Amino acid sequence: MTRFLCKRLIMMMVTMLCASFLVFAVCEFSPGSVARKSLGPFATQQQVDLLSKKLRATDPLPVRYSRWLGVLLGLIPDPLQAPDSGLNFNDPRGAQYFGNFGYSTLNKLPVNDVIWNRLKNTAVLAGLAFALIVPLSIIFGILSGLKEGGALDRFLSVICITFTSIPEFASGVFLVTLFVILWPLLPGTSQLDPGSGWSIPSQLVLPVAVLVIYDFGYVARMIRVSMIGVMERPFIRTAVLKGMNTRQVIFGHALRNAMIAPFTVLLLQINFLVSGVVVTELVFAYPGFGRLLLDASLFGDIATLEAATLVTVAIAVTTQLVGDLGYMLLDPRIRVK
Amino acid sequence: MEEYPHPKIPALVDDFKSEKLGRREFLRFATLLGLSASAAYSIAGIAMPMGAKADDMPKGGNLRIGMRCMEIKDPHLADFAERSNVIRQVCEYLTFTDRNNITHPYLLEKWEASDDLKTWILHVRKDVKWHKGKPLTADDVVWNLKRVCDPAIGSSMLGLFTGYLVEEYDTGEKDSAGNAKKSSRLWSDKAIEKVDDYTVRLNCSSPQIAVPEHLFHYPMFILDPEEKGSFGPGANGTGPFEMTEFTVGKNAKYKARTDYWGTGPYLDTFEFVDLGDNPGAGIAAVASKQVDGLSEADAVQINSMKNFPHVAVYKVETTQTIVARMHPDNDLFKDKRVRQAMRFAIDREKVIQTSLLGAGTPAEDHHVAPSHPEYAALPKYPRDIEKAKKLLADAGFPDGFETDMVTRPDPIWELNTAQVLAEQFKDIGVKVNIKSLPSAQYWEVWTKAPFSLTAWGHRPLAVMTLSLAYRSNAAWNESNYSNPEFDKLLTEAEGILDPKQRSVVMAKIEGIMQDDGPIVQPFWRIFSTVIDKKVKGFELHPSQYIFAHQYAIVQA
Repeated sequence: MTRFLCKRLIMMMVTMLCASFLVFAVCEFSPGSVARKSLGPFATQQQVDLLSKKLRATDPLPVRYSRWLGVLLGLIPDPLQAPDSGLNFNDPRGAQYFGNFGYSTLNKLPVNDVIWNRLKNTAVLAGLAFALIVPLSIIFGILSGLKEGGALDRFLSVICITFTSIPEFASGVFLVTLFVILWPLLPGTSQLDPGSGWSIPSQLVLPVAVLVIYDFGYVARMIRVSMIGVMERPFIRTAVLKGMNTRQVIFGHALRNAMIAPFTVLLLQINFLVSGVVVTELVFAYPGFGRLLLDASLFGDIATLEAATLVTVAIAVTTQLVGDLGYMLLDPRIRVK
Repeated sequence: MEEYPHPKIPALVDDFKSEKLGRREFLRFATLLGLSASAAYSIAGIAMPMGAKADDMPKGGNLRIGMRCMEIKDPHLADFAERSNVIRQVCEYLTFTDRNNITHPYLLEKWEASDDLKTWILHVRKDVKWHKGKPLTADDVVWNLKRVCDPAIGSSMLGLFTGYLVEEYDTGEKDSAGNAKKSSRLWSDKAIEKVDDYTVRLNCSSPQIAVPEHLFHYPMFILDPEEKGSFGPGANGTGPFEMTEFTVGKNAKYKARTDYWGTGPYLDTFEFVDLGDNPGAGIAAVASKQVDGLSEADAVQINSMKNFPHVAVYKVETTQTIVARMHPDNDLFKDKRVRQAMRFAIDREKVIQTSLLGAGTPAEDHHVAPSHPEYAALPKYPRDIEKAKKLLADAGFPDGFETDMVTRPDPIWELNTAQVLAEQFKDIGVKVNIKSLPSAQYWEVWTKAPFSLTAWGHRPLAVMTLSLAYRSNAAWNESNYSNPEFDKLLTEAEGILDPKQRSVVMAKIEGIMQDDGPIVQPFWRIFSTVIDKKVKGFELHPSQYIFAHQYAIVQA
C-alpha cells in the first residue's frame, strides 16, 4: 500500500512538472507580450522594451522556466521582487520561501494572495453543487434504471436529457429572468459581498442551481446505464427469486455494484466544478477560480496561470487517487499488487 | 467697458452679437481664453446650467456603481475611462470640461493666455489641500506636467503636448532595422516654468488654443510627487474621496473626505463593483438592486432595463466613434479612389440601426462632429454602389478584392459594426474577412494591420483627435496617414481664433479627409446608462467620467 501511494505521488509530481512546462511553452507561443498588455495600447515601444527587460521576459524559455521552478521551490529569491527591479513588487512573506508562486502582473499582488481566496470561493460553489448532484443523480439514476423503458424511466430520462442539454448561460439567464426580474426573490449576481443588501446564502442559490441543473442529468444517465446492466445480472435474479424485497435487492446487492463505473464519472465532476465553471461565474459575476484563470490567460499573467494549473492538476490527480481507493472499497476483488 | 482676460475676447463678443458666431462656439472659445463661465453665459444671455445647490443635497449613504475594475499601473498612464474613473475620485485635474464641452478652471483658479496663444499662465488655487495635509503648490503642478512629458513614463499626454510643449528629436541611434531612433523631449528648458508658489507658466513653441482642454485629458491627473506615480488604497490626492480598498476584477471602495476643498462629497462611502464582461450580469445586478447603476449600458442592456420601475435612463450625444481605417501605404489602399469607394459603399443609417439599435447619429468620414465647435458643414453624400464600383474599376479592381479587417470582440457594438460593414462592402465586390482578436492582442497590432476597425473616445475639440490620429508620425496615427497639406492646415487651424477664418480652414481639412483620407466613419455614438432614481445630482458625461462627489442619495 505504501509503495502504491509513493508511486502515485511521484506520478503526480511528474504530471505537474509536465503540465507546468506545457503552460509555459504555450504562453511563449501565444501572441502579445506581457509588457504590452500590462502597459496598454498607447505606450511607446521604448517603454514596452524597458518593462519586458525589467520583467526578464526576454530570457530564453528554459531559463525562465527553471527560474520559475527555483522560486517555487524556495531555492532562489524571486528576482522580480528585488528592490532595484523598479517594479515595486513586494511580498510580505519575503522573496524566498517554499511555495512562492511569484508575482501576478495582472493583479499586482503576490499570487498566493490572489488564488487561495478565489479557490475557496469556487470550492464553496463546487462543494454545494456536488453535495446536491450526488444524491440527486443517484436517486434519478436508480429509479430510471430499475425498469428500463418503463414510464418512470422515460419520464426521468426526458428531464435528465433536457436539463443536460441546456447550456449554463441559457439556464442562468432563464433563472435570472424568473427569480430576479419577474419574481424578485433572489439576487441577480453573486459577488459574495454582504454589502449588496442580500445575504451570502441567497447569493449562492442561483449559481448552484445552474450547476446542478447542467450536471446532474448527465451523471444520472451514467448511473442509469450501470444500474440497468446490474439489474440484468444472474445474482439479482437469484436475490429476487429467493424472496428478498425490492429494497433489500437494490441496497444490498445492486447499488454497490452499479456504482463502480459512475464513481469515476462523479469524481471527474469535481475537476469540472473547480476549473470548468467559468461560464456560471461569468453569468453571475462570481469571484471564482475559473474567472481568474480566464483573466490570467487572456492577460498572459504567467505566474497566476502556472499556479492555477498546478492547483488544477493537483486536484485532478488527487481525485484519481481517491477514485482508485474508492474502487477497492466498492469492489474487494481489486487488490493492490 | 468690462476688462476681459484676453484681447481677442471683445472680437468674439462682437462676432457673437452680430450672429457670425454661434452660441456654443462663443461659450467654448471665450472660456478657453480665460473668461469665466458665468461671465460667458451672461454675455450669451442664457442662464448658466447649475447643478443642484449643495445645501439641498441629502447627506450620507453608500452608492454602488457597476464598472470593470482593471489593474492600474500609474495614473499618468490611464488609457481607458474605467481606469481613470477609479483614480478620479482621489486625484483631480487642473481643469474640468463639463458635459456641454465648456472648460472651467478646477485645481486652477484661472488661466491667462497671451495674444499669440503661445504663453499660458496657470494660477493654482490656494485653498487646495492634499488629503495628507500639505497644500497644493506650483511645484506639484510642474512636477506632474514634466513627468508626463518624459518618454520613459509613456503617458499619452506626450502625444497631445507634441508640437507645442514637446518636440521629437533624432537620438542618433539606429534600431535593428537600421531606421533612426526618435525620442521626445521638452522643446525648451523653460517650456514648463514655475513663476511663484502658485503660478506656472507654459511657454509654447507654437500657438495652441486647446491647452485648458488638454489639461483635462484623462491621464493628466495631479499626483503627489512624493508617491512617484504609484496608486492604490491610501494614495494621496486632492480629490473628494480616499480609497480604502481596491481589488482588480472585484471592487474599488472609497470613504468621503471631511476636509475636501470643493463642494461635496455628499455620500459617506462610494464603491465601484466589477460585474465582469457579461452584459447580463449588469442587468441582473441592477434588477436586484445590488448596484445603484452602471457606468455604461449599451443599447441592448438599456432595452432590457428601461422598464425597471426603480431606474432612470440617461443619454448623451458624444463624439465617440468607430473608424474603419486603411493604410494608404498598403498596395490595396494606396489609390485614393479605393478609399473613396469604401466610403460610398456604406449606408450609415442601416449601420446605426443594426449595430447600435438606433443609438447614434451619422458621421461624415472626416472625424469632425457637428457638436465640435470647429465643425464646418460639407455637402452630405448617400450610399452610391455604382459610383463606388466605378471608382474601384478605375483604380484597377474591376472585380473588387478580398482583405482582412482586424477588430475586437468586445464591446459587442464594435463587432456588430464590423459585421454590418463587411456585409455592405460585399455589395461593391470587396470581400472582408473579419479577424476578431482579443483586446490585449488587438492592441499589439492596432497600428500595424493594413485594414482595421478602431473605436475612438470622446474629445471636446476636433483638432485634438485630428492631431492625435492623422498628423504625420503622430503617436496614435494608426492609419499611417501622412499628408503635408493636411498637417499644415491642421497646425493653422489650431492657432486661429477667428471662427470664420477657422471654418474656412476646417472645411478644407474635412474635404481632404473625405477626398484623400484613410477612414470610413459610419456614426457618432449616443452614450447611455441607467442609475437608480434615488440618486440625485447624476449627470451623464460624454467621456464616461464618473464624479461621485456630485451625487447624493435620497433616503426613502
